[in-house]
Amino acid sequence: MADEEEDPTFEEENEETGGGAEGGQGKRKRLFSKELRCMMYGFGDDQNPYTESVDILEDLVIEFITEMTHKAMSIGRQGRVQVEDIVFLIRKEPRKFARVKDLLTMNEELKLARKAFDEANYGS
Amino acid sequence: PGKGRVTGVSGEGGVVPLDPSPSCLDRIPRDRFEELRKACDEEGELRRQDGPRPRAGEEADSSSRPPAAKRRKVATKGKRPGKQAVDELEAQKMRTLVSSMSQEQLDRYEVYRRSAFPKATMKRLIQTVAGSTVSQNTVIAMSGVAKVFVGQVVEEALDVCEKWGETPPLQPKHMREAVRRLRSKGQIPGSKHKKILFF
Repeated sequence: MADEEEDPTFEEENEETGGGAEGGQGKRKRLFSKELRCMMYGFGDDQNPYTESVDILEDLVIEFITEMTHKAMSIGRQGRVQVEDIVFLIRKEPRKFARVKDLLTMNEELKLARKAFDEANYGS
Repeated sequence: PGKGRVTGVSGEGGVVPLDPSPSCLDRIPRDRFEELRKACDEEGELRRQDGPRPRAGEEADSSSRPPAAKRRKVATKGKRPGKQAVDELEAQKMRTLVSSMSQEQLDRYEVYRRSAFPKATMKRLIQTVAGSTVSQNTVIAMSGVAKVFVGQVVEEALDVCEKWGETPPLQPKHMREAVRRLRSKGQIPGSKHKKILFF
């Protein structure tokens, strides 16, 4: 997966001047095309969003994830990406912060529920 | 939002139960729907245990919160009875809202809830950037944050689109303007410029 090592911020700038069907990404395969289309519709866009817009979003998301990962690696335990670091990084953004807390809480509750379910089955 | 009803994290393999038939034929205008949906986002803020209260410079959602919510302090372990009541109230509001949605709104809402980034791809991406393995919780957190990020960009782009007197589908120019605006609000990482709070 050497392609993913390319600097996405550089690619995003290129994309505006490059134009054309390939969206300026060069050889990188689109990772989230299907999911992003659904998300855009869910958040209010048309049922069939423009491919160029989806591509721009994908580049943004990958850049976002890359930035977050690099920052997470530079704080807390160096060189590792941990949940606490992600939570720390987004502490100033209410929506993202609340969402992460929710997800992690729900995940714990589900794990407990599944565990209880399995133990109940073990007896019978 | 709707804690009691979601059966999967990040829309994974879960059925999202929706109230069967919308009884009300009146369509909810888009801005009211946004308000009510943001109220559900804000409910998440009630659970924030140690985060600072947002300042005036933060996003619009925070400023529309009711004052009572701002003063509430949340217990860090378990749920106190008061908190459970708030959850139940929020769940009731959601049920009411969903039961009065039109078919088009229901479709969109269902896709909104179910859409998610594939865990495997996300994990592969993070691990490639990080150069080491990451835990499942990290993937869950990152996927969730990324989805909220997508939502922020799309909503801003829709505002831009509407402001320019155009209609969906969103075009690249809307997306780029949205990104420019979010960057100046400090909601897109990558540019370490100084965020000016008061001027």
